[in-house]
Amino acid sequence: MTTQLEAIGAAALQSEPPSAASAPGRDWKRLPRAILAFPAWAWLIAFFLAPVGMVIWFSFGYKPGMFGTHANDVLSLDRYAEALSPTFFATFQNTLWVGVTGTLIILAISVPFAYWLALKAPMRHRGILLAMVMIPFWTNFLIRTIGWQIILAPEGFFSQVLQTLGITDGPLEIMFTRTAVLIGVVYNYLPLMVLPLFVAFDRVTLSLREASKDLGAGRWSTFLHITLPLAKPGLIVGVLLVYIPLMGDYITATVLGGAKGNMAGQMVANQFQTAQNWALGSAMAVVLILTILGTAALAGLIAWLGTWPMRARRRLVLGVEK
Amino acid sequence: MSATIPVVPVSGEPTRNKGAQTEETGTVVLESVTKRYGTATAVDSISLRVEAGEFLSLLGPSGCGKTTTLRMLAGFEQPDAGSIRISGQNVIGVPPHRRNVNTVFQAYALFPHMSIAENVAYGLRQKRVGKQEIREKVTEALDMVQMVSFADRRPTQLSGGQQQRIALARALINRPAVLLLDEPLGALDRQLREEMQLELKLLQSRLGITFIFVTHDQGEALSMSDRIAIMRDGRIEQLANADTIYDSPANAYVAGFVGQQNFLSGRIGVDPHVMDTEFGQLRATTVTGELIVGSDAQAAVRPEAVTVSAEEPASVTTPNVVPGELIGVSHLGETLQFLVQIGHEHTLLARLPRPAAPRLAVGDRVWCSWSDESVNFFPAKQAAAAKAKIAKDAVDPAASTRAISIKE
Repeated sequence: MTTQLEAIGAAALQSEPPSAASAPGRDWKRLPRAILAFPAWAWLIAFFLAPVGMVIWFSFGYKPGMFGTHANDVLSLDRYAEALSPTFFATFQNTLWVGVTGTLIILAISVPFAYWLALKAPMRHRGILLAMVMIPFWTNFLIRTIGWQIILAPEGFFSQVLQTLGITDGPLEIMFTRTAVLIGVVYNYLPLMVLPLFVAFDRVTLSLREASKDLGAGRWSTFLHITLPLAKPGLIVGVLLVYIPLMGDYITATVLGGAKGNMAGQMVANQFQTAQNWALGSAMAVVLILTILGTAALAGLIAWLGTWPMRARRRLVLGVEK
Repeated sequence: MSATIPVVPVSGEPTRNKGAQTEETGTVVLESVTKRYGTATAVDSISLRVEAGEFLSLLGPSGCGKTTTLRMLAGFEQPDAGSIRISGQNVIGVPPHRRNVNTVFQAYALFPHMSIAENVAYGLRQKRVGKQEIREKVTEALDMVQMVSFADRRPTQLSGGQQQRIALARALINRPAVLLLDEPLGALDRQLREEMQLELKLLQSRLGITFIFVTHDQGEALSMSDRIAIMRDGRIEQLANADTIYDSPANAYVAGFVGQQNFLSGRIGVDPHVMDTEFGQLRATTVTGELIVGSDAQAAVRPEAVTVSAEEPASVTTPNVVPGELIGVSHLGETLQFLVQIGHEHTLLARLPRPAAPRLAVGDRVWCSWSDESVNFFPAKQAAAAKAKIAKDAVDPAASTRAISIKE
């Protein structure tokens, strides 16, 4: 990006002598460069900040009678108390469990795979392998998820294979449970982790890894001290890209989870659509947002503290007076 | 220095103990080393002995196999055939991190997420050296390259030349028996490159570590090396010191590749030291290659060996005299370069130090002369192949930097 902009800038400088800039009819050039960001921030204000602001506002209101959806003439925190009452709280717990477990499973699958794909797989196969990750992603999300209904059904394909192999006796009973939701989200969100990780590993140039080995580090040491730290941005992007939509996902939970595998996204949607209680739905949405922000921050803190010993060992300050 | 290499019949069996007594730390021996990529042979049965403490350059155009050779020494590639011994130890199958060899990479390969001090300390940390000792050794290493005050910076905050020094300090911190340098000065501008050449040479003689230096820049190779191996198509064309390579090239390729040459074609007479050309007889004291009486040949003479004068020199004192017309004069700083048309389609390049150069104008009739000691005769076929190859190399940008360095 920067180099492109610099190139354009340099070209502009070369093609025009300085005096041309002050010539009449060139004033439009003096518009602040921030104008380039206008579409982005206009979009953000109109479709992100404003709706979120409205949701927060509604969450302090209440549902006025049978036919109203929301009212804000009396403000209170009652909807929050309601959102955190035992019935709904269980759903939040369930969501958090699926979100964290799902992200960890996806991470465990993606890191070795993306590493292999970016650094070890033969160059000529790389395109095909990437396509194999991507193509299911192009299919409609709902259709893919419904596909799992067929596979996971008690008399479905997966169940029959397990029974034939003698791993389970009797039909598989995981449909409409948390496990089914977990399988569904891992499948649905895997590419969102693999792609940024692939890019991140791909950018760790061969010469850096070779330099590490040259200086006496074995494979593990090189991975731990060079490859992984340099892939960190991709790791963070991947985790956020998976964890945030996964926490708010309601299609997978609706299709595969049923009553037992309920998730917060589904619960919020119910309040808005079925119960017509926008105030409660908004409070639930705010709780969900805060949960996501809180856990993401916590995860970042844990990762930072967890790698602290490694950084402390690496840290080297020379006490030189010069 | 150049002890004779015992010619060991090459087989797959390890030669761990063979010659271990005679090969001291820092000696590198390659025997019939071959590396293929698919059908292409990158390195074709190379045998080479580098003495402990020697500064050896592998010089050649891109694709000549010099980098592949270096990578096999570092352990990043395994040869398909042949044996490699470092300090008397067979290293075939030994991974890079278990070799007492370190590399300075072409693009420096500094770790961007570590400070300069942490980069330099990396090798010691892998050896689990204590922190106090690391601190002392890193300070010492940074002091060696005059970069102590940069210890806390990041690699991206450093200029190319500074990064180069850090890469050097990092590679030397473990005191390897052999230091491998893969075109380390390629990314630097000319002035810095010349400074670094001097520093590298000084450092090498001070440390006494074997340096194996890969470059396509002949100026670099000539200025620093104890010996130079000129490589082409995976083979070594000549292995000798700079003087020998420059004055007595083993073949026409080497003659044309290092420095500039004027090639003149003709036919060998009864005396192989005399060649008949359309410009008269040429004489040489030394003759290389198989030259048969009556065979077509090429004479090679360097521009700086050629004298240009307005009067015909006495043929008694100068055995080689060719008349011609001056068609160009260019100023190269310390020298003047003359381009002389001889015959119908030949030109001769001459370079004379400026104070001694005659004042001549384009269009003047001139005489070019040179001594018989500065001429080499080569079989015509060899010379033609060499010229074609050099013309091809001149197209690639890497080779053009060489053309510039010639003019210095």
